[in-house]
Amino acid sequence: MNSGTDTLRVVIAEDSAILRDGLVQLLADRGFVVTRAVSDAPSLEQAVAADLPDVAVVDIRMPPTFTDDGLRAALAVRHRYPEVGILVFSQYIETRYAAELLAGGAARIGYLLKDRVADVADFVEALVRVASGGTALDPEVVTQLMGASRRTDTLAALSAREREVLALMAEGRTNSAIATGLVVSEGAVEKHVANIFAKLNLPATPTDHRRVLAVLRYLEG
Amino acid sequence: MQVQVPGSRAAEAKRLVRAVGREPFRMRSWAELGFFLAGSALALSGVLLLGAVGVLGVGLSVVFVGTFVLAGGLRTARGLGRWQRLLAGRLLGEQLAGPEAPPARPGPLGWLRSSLGDRAAWRAVAYLAGRIPLTVFGVWFALSVWVEAFSGVLSPFVGHAAAGRFGAFSRLLVPAEAGSHPPGALTRVGVFLGGVVLLFIAPWTMRLVVQLDLRLMRLLLGPDAASSRVRSLEVSRSKTLDATTETLRRIERNLHDGTQAQLVALAMRLGQAKDKLDHLTPVSAAADVAAVRRLVDEAHRGAKEAITDLRDMARGIHPPALDTGLENALATLAARSAVPTEVTVSVQARPSAAIEAISYFCAAELLANVAQHARATRASLSCAQHGPWLRIVVRDNGKGGAALDRAGSSSSGLAGLADRVATVDGHLSVASPPGGPTAVTVDLPWRS
Repeated sequence: MNSGTDTLRVVIAEDSAILRDGLVQLLADRGFVVTRAVSDAPSLEQAVAADLPDVAVVDIRMPPTFTDDGLRAALAVRHRYPEVGILVFSQYIETRYAAELLAGGAARIGYLLKDRVADVADFVEALVRVASGGTALDPEVVTQLMGASRRTDTLAALSAREREVLALMAEGRTNSAIATGLVVSEGAVEKHVANIFAKLNLPATPTDHRRVLAVLRYLEG
Repeated sequence: MQVQVPGSRAAEAKRLVRAVGREPFRMRSWAELGFFLAGSALALSGVLLLGAVGVLGVGLSVVFVGTFVLAGGLRTARGLGRWQRLLAGRLLGEQLAGPEAPPARPGPLGWLRSSLGDRAAWRAVAYLAGRIPLTVFGVWFALSVWVEAFSGVLSPFVGHAAAGRFGAFSRLLVPAEAGSHPPGALTRVGVFLGGVVLLFIAPWTMRLVVQLDLRLMRLLLGPDAASSRVRSLEVSRSKTLDATTETLRRIERNLHDGTQAQLVALAMRLGQAKDKLDHLTPVSAAADVAAVRRLVDEAHRGAKEAITDLRDMARGIHPPALDTGLENALATLAARSAVPTEVTVSVQARPSAAIEAISYFCAAELLANVAQHARATRASLSCAQHGPWLRIVVRDNGKGGAALDRAGSSSSGLAGLADRVATVDGHLSVASPPGGPTAVTVDLPWRS
């Protein structure tokens, strides 16, 4: 069907058999190559080492201890293979997990509620985004991090609309996606983004990681 | 049944004589004598000390210092009580539980308050007070017998003068020569024989005194009834809390791994189906519709599974059948069991709701064990009132070998069940010889 994914290679780590099988089927259907689907944290690390996929989809709560084994394994993968994108997905959003995931930067990181797989197009888009160096954060993550942040003074300067734009940026959306979401023109979004960069003191740099920096600033509160 | 008569009357008498004859030469008798002497010395010095402290404390209490002196005296009394318990432990092997330590409060005034309000210390004072008449009684009733026995037995060796000073009992034996000096041969023999007789009586009189003392110690030097009840309630409360937390964790785990995952998978399939319909083109229509049909089929099946699982889980949290009483609930349970199960419930009144719930879960778990591990073809479940207990017995004709031990590799969960039963002061026992049959008995108090 509508590919455009350039046959991204994916490793799946999920202990629930019905979800694992469902994901494999869904991703295969959408033209991804699922190199391996494993059911516990240690196997995830082995699978990544063996296959070096573009992105790993990782459940947080997995064997052996059924706590945050998946997250630990994901962080280990990030440390050893920084070029592998990581999309963590879970039934719950824990602020602490999000903070740990994002501590090393937001590039190639995703954190979504499992429910999001119900919207296939959005889920696939998020996966592609993470695989190609972007960020995909669940709106729930953003809300929680916003609620958890104590220092809102840096963000106080932003207008309500600018904050909305920033929140959507934090979820990892492009300008055009933000424009569609807020029902405004793409030009208007660009203006807001420029204002945000200015207000957050993020001058244009050659590497141009301003989007990521703005999001991090936002998430740090 | 033939009751076996343990020997004739003569044999019994012989055994009694042997027991009495051995008594003076048993370590226990000497330990009791030592315990009485050491305990009396300790108690007497304690009473003297406390008397002095009391006088001093009351005298000085005008200047407030006395209050501290009194508090110190109470601490000492508590310490003496501990020593008495140590003596009983060392000499008699009677390990008596001590009272709880007084609460630690900061500062000298806190110390004063803890000391003066320490019930255990006041009870130790009461013990010391009670120990005085007991000492007097013991000296008269038991120690004197020992002394008489010694002096009589030793009289041929140490000379009659020393022995005669005590030999009151011996003199009674031979009144004819009483008071005559020097004593005649008959008196000497009488005094010696009297000593020998007393040697066999002394251990028994002393034992009585020591038993009285131990009783007094248990009454006044142990943990008092209220505080030991508090302690046992604390233990059972914390067990109950643990069990509750464990239950909630299990429910969360079941929801997370079961229903939530099922619903996510369901939503995922429907999402996929919707996605395919959105991108329907005339070229791919036939294949896509078939794929959509397959996805919808799977989603439909998943939805039905989720409903079944959710219903089972809800029933696991609180079985609706229990609302109408244990009899219905157990009958339903047995009817659902994989192994044909016969049910007998003979319970007139209804036990408390908590007990009903626990009995239900015990029965459910035990029947599940039968189905999973026992390889049985028949099982029975009985539930009846048994004195103050509600007794549940699950039997099967399976392979047996079920055990309560935790280390065992069998995942029968009997140990966990026993813990759960213990939270309401119930008991679980297992009779399961290898080869079967197995009977597991659970006794629960009628009211929790």
